[in-house]
Amino acid sequence: MNIAILNGDSEAASPFQAYLLKLSQKLKDRGHTVIKLDLATLNLKGCSGCWGCWVKTPGECVKHDGSATVRRAIIDSDLTLLASPITMGFTSALLKRAADQMVPLIHPYFVVEGGEIHHRARYARYPLMALLLDAGEQADAEDIEMTTAIWRRTARNLKTRLAFTAVASRDAEEVANELTLVA
Amino acid sequence: MNSLLLLNGSPRGERSNSIKMLERIAEGWRRKGGTVEALHLARRDQFARAVTAFAEAETVLLGMPLYTDAMPAVVKEYIEALMPRVAAAKAGLRNPTLGFLVQSGFPEARHSRPVVRYLEKLAARLGSRYAGTIVRGGGGALEWMPEQANKKLWQQLRVLGEQLARDGQFGAAELKAIAGRERLGPLTVMLATLACKLPLTQSMWNKMLKENGVWERRFDAPYGPAFRP
Ligand SMILES: Cc1cc2nc3c(=O)[nH]c(=O)nc-3n(C[C@H](O)[C@H](O)[C@H](O)COP(=O)(O)O)c2cc1C
Repeated sequence: MNIAILNGDSEAASPFQAYLLKLSQKLKDRGHTVIKLDLATLNLKGCSGCWGCWVKTPGECVKHDGSATVRRAIIDSDLTLLASPITMGFTSALLKRAADQMVPLIHPYFVVEGGEIHHRARYARYPLMALLLDAGEQADAEDIEMTTAIWRRTARNLKTRLAFTAVASRDAEEVANELTLVA
Repeated sequence: MNSLLLLNGSPRGERSNSIKMLERIAEGWRRKGGTVEALHLARRDQFARAVTAFAEAETVLLGMPLYTDAMPAVVKEYIEALMPRVAAAKAGLRNPTLGFLVQSGFPEARHSRPVVRYLEKLAARLGSRYAGTIVRGGGGALEWMPEQANKKLWQQLRVLGEQLARDGQFGAAELKAIAGRERLGPLTVMLATLACKLPLTQSMWNKMLKENGVWERRFDAPYGPAFRP
């Protein structure tokens, strides 16, 4: 399967970066096609809340920045792995910047789904999502649970679901096996 | 005199729904004799000022729109810039009383609850007294309705501002009232499902699409097969 890894670590030489490289290799060893996007290098301009992606250039951010690469990688993938250190109890501002610019992937029209108001899908299919978190020394189990709860909702708004959350203290071999199982 | 540091976390800055709501809370605060410093996090210079001002403030109110079920990226950047204040609190320094406003496009409060949990813990992480989080759905009403239509909301916000000034926290009953419905009831789900099928419900999007001359392209899907219901 096609796996997109969105790397939300802005530190270039962290242990988490090394872990992601190892994990990518293990996924490739299992026959998957892996694209790892280092969000820090993509010059993401972030969302200014202009609604242009819905009403001016439907499906595309008006900023024409690296966020287009992120959106393409997501739609091309069967599984999108959101990888980030936890800082101040949540995934990085860098990953959030990418997430805010994922809104072009859905359509403005309102729909009711699971008893809640949501937006209509724009694409015929969306990848499963999973979280890979570097808890570091600061984050506790509750931070991981709360971060997961938020991303579970985000995945739902992006017309998919969060398959699971893994922490980078776990063996990369084990995580690669689990990722292979979910998709 | 009591001073309030009012932080607007909307990327839309001065033209945002968030600042409209925050200004009403500030009115309530001023009625109790306090002063207000308002800053937009989306403006780079003001962002920097907001970081230094946090350490000196007595009370901080951070407002934001819900963005993909969480805080907008600029708000997370700001929270990350407060990291030294966690260490400061551990070293026995005081951090300000912290309250929040989360307002969302969808009408139900339910969408905002996970991030509210996060914000409450953020206050604890900073060793700040938690004043509470004002949750309000249906941001479209602020955007597309005349000012008059939101009179009740403005009044509720002023009262919350007064409470913050007087008690250092928002009243539980007032928070509950302003949040409105946690989730849609079964009848509303039925009606909303029907309403979503009517062009009227989507008319504000259609109007903008037409004005911009891209109505025909509204279902464009640049990266893959488009959804067909
Ligand atoms: C990128 C983006 C993501 C959004 N995500 C959500 C969401 O997950 N749930 C929701 O209810 N509203 C969402 N909204 C709608 C805004 O919260 C709503 O329009 C709000 O009133 C905007 O406030 P502002 O004018 O202060 O920026 C989103 C808007 C944008 C631009």
